[in-house]
Amino acid sequence: MEAKLKNESVNRVILEAEHIDFSYDNGYKVFENINIEAETGKFIAIIGPSGIGKSTLLRILGGFLKPDSGKIKLMGKQLYEPTPEVALIHQSIVTFPWMTAEENVMLSMKTKNMSRNEMVEKAKVSLSRVGLEGFEDLYPKEMSGGMRQRVAIARAFAANPHVFLMDEPFAHLDELTAEGLRQDIYNILFSGETPLKSVIMVSHNLTEVLELADEIYILNNIPASIIGRVEVTMQRPRNPRSDEFNSNLDMLYGYLTPPRNKR
Amino acid sequence: MNELLLIILGVLATAIQVIILVILSIISGWFLAYASIKSKIFENIYIIFIEIFESVPVITFFPVVLIIFITRIGGPLGTQLATDFLVFTAVVWNIWMGEYQAFKTVPNEMVEVTQNSRFGLFSKLRYLYIPFSIPRIAANLFPSVSDGFFYITVSEVFTVGVHSYQTFGVGSVLDTFVADANLHAVYLTLLILGIVIVCVILILREFSRYAVSKYTLDTDAPILKRGRLNIKETTRIFAAISKNPLSRLSRYYKYRENERHEEKYEKKEKKKKYYRYGYGAIAILLLILILYESVSLVLSVKIDEWYTLFNGTGYLLYSLGYDYLRVLTILLISMVIAIFLGYYLAVHKRAEFFGIPVIQALSSYPAPIYFPFLFILTEPYIIGVFGGFTNELYVLFLGFVSTFYYVLYAFWMGVKAMPGEYWEITKNLKLGFFKKMRKVILPSTFPYLISGISSTINSAWGGLMIGEYWPDIYGTHSLEIHTGLMKTIDLATANGNIALAAWGSLIFGIIVAVYSVVFTRRMMDVAQEKYVAEEGVYSS
Repeated sequence: MEAKLKNESVNRVILEAEHIDFSYDNGYKVFENINIEAETGKFIAIIGPSGIGKSTLLRILGGFLKPDSGKIKLMGKQLYEPTPEVALIHQSIVTFPWMTAEENVMLSMKTKNMSRNEMVEKAKVSLSRVGLEGFEDLYPKEMSGGMRQRVAIARAFAANPHVFLMDEPFAHLDELTAEGLRQDIYNILFSGETPLKSVIMVSHNLTEVLELADEIYILNNIPASIIGRVEVTMQRPRNPRSDEFNSNLDMLYGYLTPPRNKR
Repeated sequence: MNELLLIILGVLATAIQVIILVILSIISGWFLAYASIKSKIFENIYIIFIEIFESVPVITFFPVVLIIFITRIGGPLGTQLATDFLVFTAVVWNIWMGEYQAFKTVPNEMVEVTQNSRFGLFSKLRYLYIPFSIPRIAANLFPSVSDGFFYITVSEVFTVGVHSYQTFGVGSVLDTFVADANLHAVYLTLLILGIVIVCVILILREFSRYAVSKYTLDTDAPILKRGRLNIKETTRIFAAISKNPLSRLSRYYKYRENERHEEKYEKKEKKKKYYRYGYGAIAILLLILILYESVSLVLSVKIDEWYTLFNGTGYLLYSLGYDYLRVLTILLISMVIAIFLGYYLAVHKRAEFFGIPVIQALSSYPAPIYFPFLFILTEPYIIGVFGGFTNELYVLFLGFVSTFYYVLYAFWMGVKAMPGEYWEITKNLKLGFFKKMRKVILPSTFPYLISGISSTINSAWGGLMIGEYWPDIYGTHSLEIHTGLMKTIDLATANGNIALAAWGSLIFGIIVAVYSVVFTRRMMDVAQEKYVAEEGVYSS
């Protein structure tokens, strides 16, 4: 088994969550003492049962929600609110239907001091990066789900983020499209052509997580806390049909499913 | 001035006024809706305000308008403002409500995209909220423009006591031609107005099509229902706490930087808070102004006059009972027509293609303009058949033509929005027309029907207001019914008894608002809880 529990502290941390506690308005405590670190060049996955609060945690990491206590730090500086340096990619495919693919991508540059020509140029680069060269003038409703998710990713890229927060980004796609996009996305993420340094993805799809992640944080219990941190050291590209992959999968299932009584 | 030119100018003046006032409603609605999603105080006051005024028919404002604009401001400006205000109140409420609902239902994910890019107020409005509200505005434009034309032609010429007031427009032009018995010019005016209205309707149809195809949400981001989000948003900031003095010293510069960030963040949060308070303060200020105007109005009436008004309240309520019976009759006729015609149009594409634009154009053609001519042509025959019931019939007709299309559109839209699976089930079970209607179509279109019924009831009052007392329609022929609150208010206004007109309107406004709270809203809740298929309530 290549994966092993990781205990040692890490360096070159880009985004970190320190002692995060969070409750909903009705007083329900969602998280208790959550600690997460995302290093440069690492693809981090957060897994946990449905309803545990994975998407909420991602929004706390992005500054969209304020924790009751604890801190989020981006490259050592405390993060108080959403910033283009930490881009959130949603589970539901969020494209603006009244804008073309190019205009959707240009949206993330509107607050920057850039001329329209510069924005158009950069949007074209971002779209071609996700394989949408030649589709700049299409409206989202003229595109497939996979293409629209690529537009959303291109929009996130165009903001030059250091960290990507991905909230089950392949959940609404069919298996074949998701598989193709997963591979493409991984290759783009760390191609070195962008300032992107790290990715944090939440998912309940363990196969997807094992295919992509370098480190996996496991959320469980009520209120949710990190019950384990796994480093995945399998060689890439990873083959979901290999024995090694399956044994890693079994280990993750072990974390998430309660032990069954033997008959 | 050349007769044709005068007609064209009159029609254009009316049409342009309606369009400008609709645009004004739309623009003001965007800012008010944004303020209401940002400030709870503002939202609460704003929504109560809209809901009451949306449920109270526009004619309730008539006496108030007279007091404020005619007596206080006076002159041509006062008259013009009175007309514009009346038309504004006719078009504004459903547009404002539609925009508020649109802003409130913007998917959180889309808001997060704008937060991620740190958009300011205008960028958020420009790239997210305004485009998102376009389909709802388009949906509300037909009734708003129809109501606008209806009320502007009524309010371009009006009489208070011995004074007659008028502003330039098709209503006043037509009034002049009728006074001169220039029938040729009258028919030409009607024709040109018809052409302009058809053009406006065709433009609106194109706009609606464009709005739906371009701006309707195609993402699978969940649409939020009206209401508050369940996510805690605290604004607390935690000061950097070091564990011991040494580490504090060693990390001094880092903390200095963090402190600067914190200060910046605190300033920003403070600014946001000030904005929220600002919106709330504006809402409270408006409320105070309204209260002040109301109190000064109440104080301006003498004690013995109050005594007379209170004594007459029983009769006013009795008259209102009569009017409710008329509204109920209009509603029943409208519903029967809506259910059969709406169903027919929804399931026959060809009929729909030709029928809907015709109905839209007819409903936008203001009844007060063409009714006198219809009256001249038909009165001798109607009297022969209906005798003493003739005037009542005409009043019901005026109420019907000014309102039937609301429930028709609503039902037609409801049938069109029915999930395909429901149709398949009715075919599978081989349900006959009435069984299909009773078991499937009426329940699944219930939210739409309630919405349409509510609008139909509200608009019927406009027709009654015009019809119950219409002196000298032609020659010595007048339209006047025996008993009705609208007639009492009309008569009081015409006789210059503003106190009685205002008191009658207030009683009427209160009853209608109470009715809206205890009946319409409850029915909407039932529709939402029990009968909603997908987004029925919200899209209706």
